[in-house]
Amino acid sequence: MNLVFRQRRAYWLLVLPAFALMLLFYIVPLVELLWVSVSEPRPGLGNYELVLLSGPIRRIIWTTVRVCIETTIPTVVLGYVVAYAMVHVERGQFTWMMLCVMLSFWVSVLVRAFSWLVMLNTRGVVNTLLLATGLMEHPLPMAYNEVGVAISIIHFMLPFAVLPMYANMVGIDKRYVSAARGLGASRAQAFWQVFFQLSIPGVVGASVLVFVFSLGFFVTPAIMGGGKVVMLAEYISVQIQDLLQWGLAATLATLLLVSVFFILAAMSRFIDLRTLFGAR
Amino acid sequence: MKNSQSFSEDVVELAIEQYHENRISRRTLIKALGALGLAPGFFASGAALGRVKELVVVNWGGPAVKAYQDAFGVSFEKKTGIKVVIDGTGPGAGKVRAMVDAGNVTWDVLDAGVGTATLLGNTGYLEAIDYGIVDKSKVRPEFVYKWGISDYLFSFVLTYDVKGLGGDKPTGWKDFWNVKDFPGKRLLRKNPIGQLECALLGDGVPHDEVYPIDLDRALEKIREIKEHAVFWGSGSQSQQFFLQGEVVMGNLWHNRSNLLRRDTNGGVNWIWDDGIVASGVWAVVKNNPAGKDAAMHFINHAIGDVEGQVALFKVMSSGPANPEGTNRIPADLRAYDPSQPENYNRQLKFDAEWWGKHEIEAFERYRDVISS
Repeated sequence: MNLVFRQRRAYWLLVLPAFALMLLFYIVPLVELLWVSVSEPRPGLGNYELVLLSGPIRRIIWTTVRVCIETTIPTVVLGYVVAYAMVHVERGQFTWMMLCVMLSFWVSVLVRAFSWLVMLNTRGVVNTLLLATGLMEHPLPMAYNEVGVAISIIHFMLPFAVLPMYANMVGIDKRYVSAARGLGASRAQAFWQVFFQLSIPGVVGASVLVFVFSLGFFVTPAIMGGGKVVMLAEYISVQIQDLLQWGLAATLATLLLVSVFFILAAMSRFIDLRTLFGAR
Repeated sequence: MKNSQSFSEDVVELAIEQYHENRISRRTLIKALGALGLAPGFFASGAALGRVKELVVVNWGGPAVKAYQDAFGVSFEKKTGIKVVIDGTGPGAGKVRAMVDAGNVTWDVLDAGVGTATLLGNTGYLEAIDYGIVDKSKVRPEFVYKWGISDYLFSFVLTYDVKGLGGDKPTGWKDFWNVKDFPGKRLLRKNPIGQLECALLGDGVPHDEVYPIDLDRALEKIREIKEHAVFWGSGSQSQQFFLQGEVVMGNLWHNRSNLLRRDTNGGVNWIWDDGIVASGVWAVVKNNPAGKDAAMHFINHAIGDVEGQVALFKVMSSGPANPEGTNRIPADLRAYDPSQPENYNRQLKFDAEWWGKHEIEAFERYRDVISS
């Protein structure tokens, strides 16, 4: 008992340097940020009032939430299909699939946004193909609008959806599905009533992860949005860099942070967050 | 500091040290220098600037780093012994504020937009230009400001894709808003500076009535074209829109239009008519490391360095701030220079004062219109 206690204390000592770093370089600046939001341009809650009352800011928050919903749903659906395939294919194929999922992790978000621009612009690869094959008479507007922003974010976020859902599905005992089939369920019934139900924690976890990450997207909307899709992160950057309205920027950043905490806290009632971030 | 020092230099240095320590007045100092047979102009020499070794000038990077060094850095070092370091990371307002707030200023002179300079100056982050050192008669009087002085001219010009318009040539912003006779996508800037002006010109407002800008009217006009338009953030992005064939007409910085003209062999061109001609400014960061005086001397050197301005024009297409520089642009390049009288007089002069007062409101409302 005493030994266990001492061992535990040793572990805490090991964690201490990392904690000190966090405190100094993360918690302290965060508190400063919070402070700026209630002290600039004058002390008080004026910035928070402004955010709640200002039509333009409300519209930007709505755009941000809307784009996040538009990206989260397709990302999770597509990711589900990939994860489902990954748990059912043979070992060799699985390795290749995993490699492809991981590969996209290694390409920077900037490079990917520009690549999508090359693919999707009016004279881009996709439109050229559509016109040449006669599938379309006019080029589809896929770049410099919300569609383009959504496509690039979905592509970026896919691995974040695949991996937690894969981790969840690996843990589902396939014999349940076999048992359901044996008891007379059709393939679809066995999937919906058994496998899918068991995979819901993975789906919820992936959705939260994708949604929360998408909230802070900056580069992609700035490049793919053609100036018409302004999300919160870009707006905050303009307030800091161009307009020197740091109080307003800090307020928006604080609200963003608080909402992320809120979403995670709410979700933690349904799922074990540790599994989501790989700490299992 | 140089290694070998003559006696008179030493005397001068001492005199200047005393001046800096407020032991003697400026007038006494100049008199003393005169007594040493040194013209007051020597005041601008290296010794006059005490122990300053290095001056950091911040611009927007890319080819501008080398171009500024060649145009102004080398000659300033030769004249004063102060080494000029060009930092191309971009003098964003937020970065300047962060630096000054943290008490860790590493920049001296900025190549800033006049909007940025006004915003920073009014909130206490810049040194006002010292017109005791900087000779404002070297630049056009319309671009002399409290927080900055003209470093080069640039224009917002109506740029068009020759083939994309099927041979029709636009003559002004009214054509930009005419999507029936000039079909195709339009390109404007995410930042309202230079855009609200073209909206009003497109709405038929004569040049001399554009300022003070009627914000409601201008934004209504922007709303009208919005569904036909995309918006650029950086200069390189504005080029990209044309190169991809995404747009047929745009409001671009003239230097980008000129690069497009060159890269497309005239496939993209622009008109000076109805352009909005503005000036970038030299500005000095509050508590700059080299000291206010060294920075002011650099600025005075740069606005007087006609050769440097012509050299800069050849690389960056930036119009000389000094009218003398305008006269020295080679005849075959004058068509691309916003400062040439035949181009300059066709354009609207940018009013920094209006923007200084309304930038934030205009920014917020413009962004709201284009993104909702």
